[in-house]
Amino acid sequence: MFARPQWLILLLVLIAGLVWWRVPADTQQLSRTALIMGTLVEIRAFGDDQQQLNQAISDAFAEMTRLEDLLSSHRPDSDVARLSSAEKTVKVSAETAKLLQLGQQVALRSGGAFDMTLGAVKQLWAIETDHPQIPTAEQLQTALHGIGPRALQIDGTQVTKSVPALQVDLGGIAKGYAVDRALAVLRRAGIRSAAVNAGGDIGLLGDRQGQPWRIGIQHPRNKGQLLTTLRLADRAVVTSGDYERFFERDGVRYHHIFDPHSGQPARRSQSVTVVAADAASADALATAAFVLGPRAGLKLLEDWPAVEGLLVAADGTVYQTSGLQRSD
Amino acid sequence: MRRGGWLQRLTPFDCKLVVVLAVIVLLSFLLLLRRGVGTRVLVTSGDRTLFVADLSVDRRVELNGPLGTTVLQIADGGVRILSSPCSRKICIGMGEARHPGDLLACVPNRLVVRIEGADAVARERGYDFLSR
Amino acid sequence: MTSSAVDPAALELELVRRRVFLALFIALAVALHTFEVLLPNPLPWFRIGLANILALTALFLYGQRALWIVSLTRILVGSLLLGNLFSPAFLLSLSGGLSATLLMSVAYRFCRPRIGPVGVSVLGALGHAGGQLLIAWLLIVRHPSIWMMLPFFLLFSLISGMVNGLAADYLLDALFKHPAFARLRSMGEKEAI
Repeated sequence: MFARPQWLILLLVLIAGLVWWRVPADTQQLSRTALIMGTLVEIRAFGDDQQQLNQAISDAFAEMTRLEDLLSSHRPDSDVARLSSAEKTVKVSAETAKLLQLGQQVALRSGGAFDMTLGAVKQLWAIETDHPQIPTAEQLQTALHGIGPRALQIDGTQVTKSVPALQVDLGGIAKGYAVDRALAVLRRAGIRSAAVNAGGDIGLLGDRQGQPWRIGIQHPRNKGQLLTTLRLADRAVVTSGDYERFFERDGVRYHHIFDPHSGQPARRSQSVTVVAADAASADALATAAFVLGPRAGLKLLEDWPAVEGLLVAADGTVYQTSGLQRSD
Repeated sequence: MRRGGWLQRLTPFDCKLVVVLAVIVLLSFLLLLRRGVGTRVLVTSGDRTLFVADLSVDRRVELNGPLGTTVLQIADGGVRILSSPCSRKICIGMGEARHPGDLLACVPNRLVVRIEGADAVARERGYDFLSR
Repeated sequence: MTSSAVDPAALELELVRRRVFLALFIALAVALHTFEVLLPNPLPWFRIGLANILALTALFLYGQRALWIVSLTRILVGSLLLGNLFSPAFLLSLSGGLSATLLMSVAYRFCRPRIGPVGVSVLGALGHAGGQLLIAWLLIVRHPSIWMMLPFFLLFSLISGMVNGLAADYLLDALFKHPAFARLRSMGEKEAI
């Protein structure tokens, strides 16, 4: 065999090919978790270099922590806290102004179902604290005073409140925005395949090694069961459900998504999942559609460009937008 | 010399030996694969990994978070939070984590307990992330 | 050292020839050992063990001592070439190689005329997997879950053992037809050391 040069050449070519094929390192995967914005954030990224992945994920976490400082109502010097404590007009960062504008757009289009000025209502219910309570009608009346899509006047970076007592809460949009920013940081670091999961608010960068990411959608009543699985790439998925944070009193479930019209937990839906290009929009739209309920909520999602959604009504019926691709 | 199919290259003794060994291999599959094994426990706080341990080695671990000491118990291939300085004790109520991908978290004390090997689980359960 | 009919010059020639061939086998085994690292392998520890073809051939041509020489030298030189001498990978390779060689020479010693290259090879491959896993468990990952891999290892080595055994058998056939081994054939394999 080795007497013939063509065999030898063929063998050398084969070996050269194998060497070339083996030398580039296998694609690395890195997954890390951190607690940010009061929720468990998992970032998973694929790349060639473990060190680079590690650095990129650290940067993404740092970016989310920065946004927590900027947008949390619990931080006294955050934009949101300053806005809440202000008498009338406050200058906020350009970033906060842009996010408020996006929120206002959803608020207007949903007829006020999404509202960023429910801070006082949330404080009354205190659902995310140790001592939740059911507020009286008068208390709610006071807390709802002045709220609505037009309660905040945004002029450049100047934000003006309709009434001084207005409390701003970006709970329905800030987490989504933080996911978007984390993905932007990862993208800038040259990563082409990553996922950020902030307690179920999921942002996807690229696909999962040539395959779409598979996103399971939690069944709102049976824990551990899936409603469906979505196959997605370069999308964001956010689910709002009444099962996430709630307390029960006298057999009634009081959860954390409030109807701005009544100040009571919204009763028309069990959960809404929204698939959009960015997690901030998905986050706000999921809340809005949840409050609106099956008919108006589904219409909102259908009318919003490039958005799909899945809605479980209060009676357990599952509705979905026409363009949603399920894979179950 | 011998010619023909590759099976003819086995002596009768070889054939018997291969069959016996194949049976042993099959038996080893049946014996060993009946039970699944979780792998490692990973405890992180913020960006840092505080603690890594084997799930199969029973032990008790004290971990310090911003609020104080959280006590973790690893026993019988599972991990649970025994005591925690947080107010609502949700983490203790989360019970036991024993399968890869399981999570326990104490949000106030900023501790995340995770069992590694989520990749294999993702394949098995059919999704990468859960939107909830 | 065997029959008195053999004249000293021919015996000397035969011994030199044997040394040359053993050196060739070792060289080839090292080449295969190194080459195998380049091959795509589904899991990091799964190796086909192509180098064992040469060890088997040496065993059936020249006996147990030749087997040990080829196996051990191959592991040492191969690891030296790959630059992982005395690293964990080398320890795995060595422990697998030792247990494989031990099993093969015992099988050869006691089951000789009945057992063929395939049988010896399969035993060696299983011994390789077992020895490697044992050392991995003792030295590297002291975790019972490592034994979960054993069935897959055993299945894989059963198949690779058969493939290697068949390859060795073909090689032996080819070699016996070659004039350089004609003397060996006339002497009979049993008389080799």
